[in-house]
Amino acid sequence: MTSIHSRLAKIILPVAIAAGLSAAPALAQKKGGALTVGIELDIAGFDPLKVGVYDTSPNIAASLFLEQLTRLDENGKPKPSLALSWSASEDYKVWTYKLRPDVKFSDGTPFNAQAVAFNFNRQKDPKNNCRCAFYIANVLSVEAKDDLTVVYTLKDPAVNHPALLTRPDQNSTIHSPTAIQAKGDDYNRNPVGTGPFVIKSWTAGDRMVLERNPDYWNKGKPNLDRVILRPLPDAQSRFASLVSGETDVVWADEYEADNITRARKNNALQVLEYVGSGAGVAALNTKVPPLDDVRVRQALVMGLDKKKISQALTNGLARPASNPYGEGSWVKCKDDGALPTDPKKAAELIKEYGKPVQFKMLFTATPRGRATSQVYQQLWKQIGVDMEIEQVDQATFPPRAFQRKFDIIGWRIVDFPDPDVQMFANFYSKSPLNLANYSNPELDKLLEQSRVTPDEGKRTEAYCAISRLLNKEATWMWIFQNTYYAMAKAKVKGIPKLYGGVIDVSDAWVE
Amino acid sequence: MAVLELERDVATEAPVRRPRRVGMLFIGSVAWIVLIGLSAIFADWLPIQSPTDMDLLAKRAPLFSPGHILGTDHLGRDELSRLIYGGRVSLLVGLLAPVIGVIIGGCLGMVAGYFRGRLETFAVGGVDVLLAFPPLVFVLAVTAFMGQSVANITIVIGVLGIPAFTRVARAVTLTLSEREFVTAARALGATHSRILMRELLPNVALPLLAFFLLAVAVTIVVEGALSFLGLGVPPPTASWGSMIGEGRENLDIAPWLAFLPAGFMFLTVLAFNVIGDTLRALTDPRPGAL
Amino acid sequence: MAKFLGRRLLYLLPVLLAVTLLTFLVASLLPGDLATTILGDQATPEKVAALRAEMGLDLPIWQRYGIWLWGVLHGDLGRSFRTGETVWAAVTARLPVSLELMVIGVVLSLVIAIPLAILCAVKSGTALDRFFTGLAFGKLSLPNYMVAILLIYLFAVELNWLPATGWVPFAEDPLANLRSFILPAVTLAFAEWPVLMRVLRSDMIATLQEDYIAMAKAKGLRPARILLVHALKPSSLTLVTVAGINIGRLIGGALIVETIFALPGIGRLLVGAIYARDFIILQGVVLFVAAGFVVVNFIVDMLYAVLDPRIRHGRA
Repeated sequence: MTSIHSRLAKIILPVAIAAGLSAAPALAQKKGGALTVGIELDIAGFDPLKVGVYDTSPNIAASLFLEQLTRLDENGKPKPSLALSWSASEDYKVWTYKLRPDVKFSDGTPFNAQAVAFNFNRQKDPKNNCRCAFYIANVLSVEAKDDLTVVYTLKDPAVNHPALLTRPDQNSTIHSPTAIQAKGDDYNRNPVGTGPFVIKSWTAGDRMVLERNPDYWNKGKPNLDRVILRPLPDAQSRFASLVSGETDVVWADEYEADNITRARKNNALQVLEYVGSGAGVAALNTKVPPLDDVRVRQALVMGLDKKKISQALTNGLARPASNPYGEGSWVKCKDDGALPTDPKKAAELIKEYGKPVQFKMLFTATPRGRATSQVYQQLWKQIGVDMEIEQVDQATFPPRAFQRKFDIIGWRIVDFPDPDVQMFANFYSKSPLNLANYSNPELDKLLEQSRVTPDEGKRTEAYCAISRLLNKEATWMWIFQNTYYAMAKAKVKGIPKLYGGVIDVSDAWVE
Repeated sequence: MAVLELERDVATEAPVRRPRRVGMLFIGSVAWIVLIGLSAIFADWLPIQSPTDMDLLAKRAPLFSPGHILGTDHLGRDELSRLIYGGRVSLLVGLLAPVIGVIIGGCLGMVAGYFRGRLETFAVGGVDVLLAFPPLVFVLAVTAFMGQSVANITIVIGVLGIPAFTRVARAVTLTLSEREFVTAARALGATHSRILMRELLPNVALPLLAFFLLAVAVTIVVEGALSFLGLGVPPPTASWGSMIGEGRENLDIAPWLAFLPAGFMFLTVLAFNVIGDTLRALTDPRPGAL
Repeated sequence: MAKFLGRRLLYLLPVLLAVTLLTFLVASLLPGDLATTILGDQATPEKVAALRAEMGLDLPIWQRYGIWLWGVLHGDLGRSFRTGETVWAAVTARLPVSLELMVIGVVLSLVIAIPLAILCAVKSGTALDRFFTGLAFGKLSLPNYMVAILLIYLFAVELNWLPATGWVPFAEDPLANLRSFILPAVTLAFAEWPVLMRVLRSDMIATLQEDYIAMAKAKGLRPARILLVHALKPSSLTLVTVAGINIGRLIGGALIVETIFALPGIGRLLVGAIYARDFIILQGVVLFVAAGFVVVNFIVDMLYAVLDPRIRHGRA
């Protein structure tokens, strides 16, 4: 099979320009109006140095007023945004991006290659100690060759680099260098981008009001005059706000199965669903007994009846996962080596182990964590395992994970356009996120191999071998595939696929 | 934090003046408390299912389902059993937490009310500090530091109750200290500790007991509020508050999951209020000082 | 009077100092700090140590308290390391929400409580009295999160009369702002009125038995005048105390009501600050809340002096 990527790499994409300029409106898009979006959490800010990582709520906001070099099209492939075209060197270690001319940040600063390099260097600078630097560890440098040409030099090859720049996240969004320099500490809450909207007002804890950017480079866009984002942390209140008409679109997840079912039955509402790659997972700390024994780990996996859990917690909405990739990924395995669900066999393995199996599992102190933890506990009790639930708040969770102060911890493999970043971070023996504390030269070799192989078929093979190995060793448990939801009024149109759970309403309109 | 408010300043609140006979309401209240109390104590021997065993495929079974008289909750656990075991936790916390308040707050208040002077200023100041300190900060810090457990929740709510008991004890002691029997004891050369223990304590004890019962009622509600916020007893332990919180998510599909524990809590709190109030009306020393 | 005022004011300072110091101590108990929160999965011991040093978190606690206090005395409440927001901005953005909720809630509860209390006091012992005191009693036993949920489902979801969550800034649309406060304020008022009614009723009954009321009746004054002018004022001491304590508490926000109705008030700011280990914000909020509590109590004390002149002289 001739890989699409190898071809992509050598030619500059001419199609891309056309696609980017006229987003081919098949439907009549209505202009004007306002849209209120209910997001889950309050947003701390947008300065990567301050907030470190954007989660879904800032991602949603960023997609409105910030832009990246690339974005994903309907097929999950990168398409032009601030970059018009790109090309790679033979070894996929040097990527050159041609930038869109005549783009200005909303503060009037011209967007150019220097701005891209400025954003990168600021994050990479060791003095700045940015948590965000971890995610660009593979990028050695970003240089402005001329005003409209940026060159990314990578440590290890990345065959799909443009896809990695598509997320509206802390690393890929391009901020105005003048605003960053002028505002200092205040920049975090007064960010400036090139996007179709600009922030008009922002009341922390309550709402962010964005209005259309009159100087947006893509003339005629956006459709809406105004977007209001409101953090509504309580799922029931969020759904109630949609039903009563205070919001037009709300973020949701499968744990709101009842609400999703109700929305589907309601003609005035629609449910957007996107099956992404990645999965909700759990890492087993292989350095602590009894989890250092592979039989115990396998028993835990086999004892967890995911279909039942899905039924109990999400009315069957959540799809059980058997590997870290999921249906949304281009990695499809004929054999991923998944262990069967078999409580009887699991109980036998525990008996074979001989000693009492007791451990703690770490959950977040949220209603979701509460419900999930109790179901796991119950299922494992039936195979003779004694799991103690430990709930901690969001601030305690990541440090506990990083310092490996846990027996089992719930985690997530995020929906990424390319599996490499997440796979390397979570499974490579020397990665700081190797939560399972597991090292295996064979696994490392496979991971290294998959990141330098340009051929998609061969990469898939490597990734499937990784899955088989991880499943056999049972160092991680794959629980549910990432499925992202949004609920909206039926008359809201033009929201693209919810890549990474991001509800991007920048192109939406209201009929 | 209106809900976390332990002292409703019931001390300054005169009881509803009822006819001085014990009514049906009182008898009913005692009967309900006895019923709930006995079922909580003997829960392990009652012919009910385990409160944590799940029938994952029969979640939210309606009332009067075969095998589950009161149905099952959102994870397929027997609702009746959870109500009984939940009552155990609610009663345990409700009865034990005010003990902390009654002991520490009672001593502090009596000493402050009896000795007056600097000591009183200090005690009143301490109470003011505790009152001005946002209780939620305390709750979150302690549970994050020591972990969520029934014992820790009890301690936290107990400590938050100290100011109220201090106030009651001080107010009662203040009025009593000026009574003849105290003056007489003093004139006879009784030591301070003797006066406090022999003369004052028996007289302070009764109003404190009445207040204690009201505090039990408030504590049950506060524990419920904490559990409702996910800061209460850890799963899978049931408490009425956590059951209401979990039931809330199912309000329009299985409303009884929230209303049953709410009803149980309501009746229990009401019963404690009725008993406490009746006792207070019977023993009213009518502390004049504010 | 001036002396009394001065003494009371002087008493406030140590209380505020103690509360803020207590916050520092309690906060230091929490596992993790802002450095670990900011660094997240990058929290290697070296990086944490470096960031802690940069933020001054490595200093001993009394020194950090001293620095903070020095700043406060110079009018600098500090700035969140996490959001870059100043404490002043963070608090002043939320305070109006909590204050408005508190004012509407308390006024509403007084509007329910005072007439009912007078009515019950006058008709004390009758079926009417027993009905309303019983009602108040029952309400005391009903947690207000239950009330909030019921109100939302009834008025927002089923009837669709009022918004469940739509807080609107007053400056933007005063009418919508008031509408958005109805359900939360009613929830609060529901929690407050029984207590207020009960205290006022029993004080009122006691007052009505006083000689001067009998005298006023004998002089043939109109009953309404007797009740509202001669009886209400001396009966309201306890009411003022209880209402004062509640108001003081509500300045700190009503977390459950704020959470359920998605109001951006002080309570949620406080909890957010704790969860994020944003201690500068936490410290600032606690200072505001404690100061508010203390000031309200101070005003209540002043009101005593107005309502009952004996206190002015007796206590000072």
